[in-house]
Amino acid sequence: MAMIKTKATPPRPAPLSETTVLGWLMKNLFSSVLNTILTLVMLFIIYTTVKGLWVWGIADAVWVAETRRECFSISIDGACWAGVIAWMDNIFYGRYPVDQLWRVNLGLLLLVVWMLPLWLPRVKGKTLIAISLIVFYPFLANHLFLGGENGFFSQIMNAAGIVSLAVIIVNAVVGVSRGQSFSKFMVDSIGHKLISEKSQRNLVLAVLVIAFILSFIWQSRWGLEKVPWTKWGGLFLTLVIAGIGIASALPGGIILALGRRSKLPVIRVLSTAFIEVFRSVPLITVLFMATTMFPLFLPEGFVLNKLTQVIIAVCLFNAAYMAETVRGGLQTIPKGQYEGAHTIGLGYWGTMGLIVMPQALKNMIPNIVGSFISILKDTTLVSIIGLFDILGMLNTIGRDLPWIGLHKEPLLFGAMIFFVLCALMSKYSRHLEAKLSTDHKT
Amino acid sequence: MAPSRKNNTSERIKPTEKFDIFHDERVRDIFYQLLTALVIGWLFWYLISNTAHNLESRGMNSGFGFLDVAAGFDPGFKLISYTPGIGTYGRIFLIGILNTLYISFMAIIACTALGFVIGVLRLSNNWLVSRVALAYVEIFRNTPLLIQVIFWYVGVFSILPRIKDSLDLSGGAEVVLLNNRGLYTAWPIAGDLLWMTGVALVVALIIVYGFKRWAHKYQDDTGKSIPTFLPSLSLLLLIPGIVFLLTGMPLSWDIPKIEGFNFVGGASLPPTFIALLVALLVYGAAHMAEIVRAGIMSVNDGQNDAALAIGLRPNKVLTLIIIPQAMPAIIPPMISLWLSTVKNSSLAVAIGYSDIVSLFMQTSLNQAGYAIEIVAMTMAFYMVVSLTISWLLNIYNKSVQLEER
Repeated sequence: MAMIKTKATPPRPAPLSETTVLGWLMKNLFSSVLNTILTLVMLFIIYTTVKGLWVWGIADAVWVAETRRECFSISIDGACWAGVIAWMDNIFYGRYPVDQLWRVNLGLLLLVVWMLPLWLPRVKGKTLIAISLIVFYPFLANHLFLGGENGFFSQIMNAAGIVSLAVIIVNAVVGVSRGQSFSKFMVDSIGHKLISEKSQRNLVLAVLVIAFILSFIWQSRWGLEKVPWTKWGGLFLTLVIAGIGIASALPGGIILALGRRSKLPVIRVLSTAFIEVFRSVPLITVLFMATTMFPLFLPEGFVLNKLTQVIIAVCLFNAAYMAETVRGGLQTIPKGQYEGAHTIGLGYWGTMGLIVMPQALKNMIPNIVGSFISILKDTTLVSIIGLFDILGMLNTIGRDLPWIGLHKEPLLFGAMIFFVLCALMSKYSRHLEAKLSTDHKT
Repeated sequence: MAPSRKNNTSERIKPTEKFDIFHDERVRDIFYQLLTALVIGWLFWYLISNTAHNLESRGMNSGFGFLDVAAGFDPGFKLISYTPGIGTYGRIFLIGILNTLYISFMAIIACTALGFVIGVLRLSNNWLVSRVALAYVEIFRNTPLLIQVIFWYVGVFSILPRIKDSLDLSGGAEVVLLNNRGLYTAWPIAGDLLWMTGVALVVALIIVYGFKRWAHKYQDDTGKSIPTFLPSLSLLLLIPGIVFLLTGMPLSWDIPKIEGFNFVGGASLPPTFIALLVALLVYGAAHMAEIVRAGIMSVNDGQNDAALAIGLRPNKVLTLIIIPQAMPAIIPPMISLWLSTVKNSSLAVAIGYSDIVSLFMQTSLNQAGYAIEIVAMTMAFYMVVSLTISWLLNIYNKSVQLEER
């Protein structure tokens, strides 16, 4: 008569809240009186918002019309998307000549092709790819977007850009398909495996030089119609300004942050002053300063166009912001890392470049991407000083005679574009953070 | 063996340090600093000499004398009196500063409060509530503030009904009216004896403070807690209320009335002000919500469990345990949010609210010239604000560090 169960108690069924929809609802939405009230209030808010937006923006909206008046005659309460659709090209490209739009598209395509290998895991030499992008792409893009005559130096850079793009594409293809680097592939396919390392290198160099000469001859015959910057606009112009701002912010920020933490007092004071001045004033005042004071700063007869002024202002401003982000990252690096680097005989630049900066930047990825997002959003401010970036274009729709007074729909459309761009960037940063994380969380 | 080793060491001890000008660290440091200073100095000298030359060749004036010159334009919204044609540019500068500080102050208070609520809702265990809060935060953080400002202005506040058909926000009492000219509210006019009500309010505040301290001490001594919220509230309402009634209600209202084509009386705010305020509030609240969420998340989960285990109710856990511990993580980013709200108020220039940038850096600069002086003064104003706020932040950080031991 032992009081021991001879059989194991069967497991109890999982609680209702974990298995059934009703249980989940009870747990997450109606667990108490207060929660129920909150849920009902939220449902009401969602219902009115979604219904209002649906009716105004889609159900009653007008998609095809010639003028705003026509929109009204079709539906008085609905959105008039016809105006936005009619201006679509301008929203994206500004007043860029329609028959030349392929140049903008090609430029963006080149950028994507150039950057794509950076994301492919098996491709070798990513640092070189990034450097070639920063050095050569601006010249090619400048030639594509602006057109006209090129100086000798930009012709050389163009040719070098074409060669490096070709190398990068081949490198990416062989990297993905065989896991090889470009030079290895060249030696394998053209040269003999038996020749010495020195002749292998010479062979690769010779191929590159020939490619360079050929592309130089090829590019010297390019004749693109000149499109002055005043015709640039829309999302294209926003991306140009934001892109230059983003590309320059990180190097500028790193230099300033290192300067601010330097042990040399002159460099430290100058960097700190620069950072603090630009961080304490709003971007719009910096832009006003650029347009009113840069002409005074420069020697007589030397005129910067407004776009250049704005880009310089944006670069200075963003470098100061990025410097603080980088400095925050530097502060997370424990002293032991510096000491370890010194112990193995690294100097200042070796310590910073090989040990400290990679860790600091990795720790700060969310903040750095956050700064990039701010740069993209802040670029809309250039519309205040009269550039026709995407916001400038959206505001112009409401002043165009057929669509006079049409403001809400273009602004909402612009907000949606920015939302998509920014949300994608922040999602990618979260992904990157998770991927690069060396925390041993499970 | 031993002697020879000793010999070796003594040889090594003698340093053969030669002063090498190219490899000495101090020399190099000084050289680099000198080089930087020279480059920067040359750059400044170059810019300044160019500027001087340009000013001269264009016949432009410089100096701060223009601040005493009468400005011919009407600044629009203003907190201090100003007559176009008589008031000076100096006064315009002052109006701009006050307008910027005014709207920033209102926006900071409002967005901090709203952001706190949304941040707490964001962590609510009610799934729907936290999702809606998330949607709010994501939508308003991921779109440019400038688009939001312009949208609130051209999409909402400038297309309100005309004066005759004003929206009545006070539910039929016609004391808070909203129309396309702005927001009109009744404004109190103080009577002779109103100061007594003020005194009563102060007295009530002191009594409530004493009561709370006593209740706290009572709880420490006996372990019993006394409800303080309702008694305090009734004290705060009753004492000034009774005094107010006894002194014969010395307060009258200046109510806005339509006279001709416009409202007369009461207080009014222009639509640009309301649009900018709403935009800063909505945008700032989204950022504040994220700050509050991150702060609360930074508190260890064990604190929550322990507080529930000793029998505190969930709302008490939040107010007594979680939020006080989250504050050190919330306050520094919150203060920088305040700072960026002040800076963001400069977007007023896009919709024409008369803040310092729009009044001084745009209109005055276009009318009077003096680009360098005006840009320098405006930037100096923002730098003073920013330095003040970072100074406050430093004081706070020091006080927290002391507590942390």
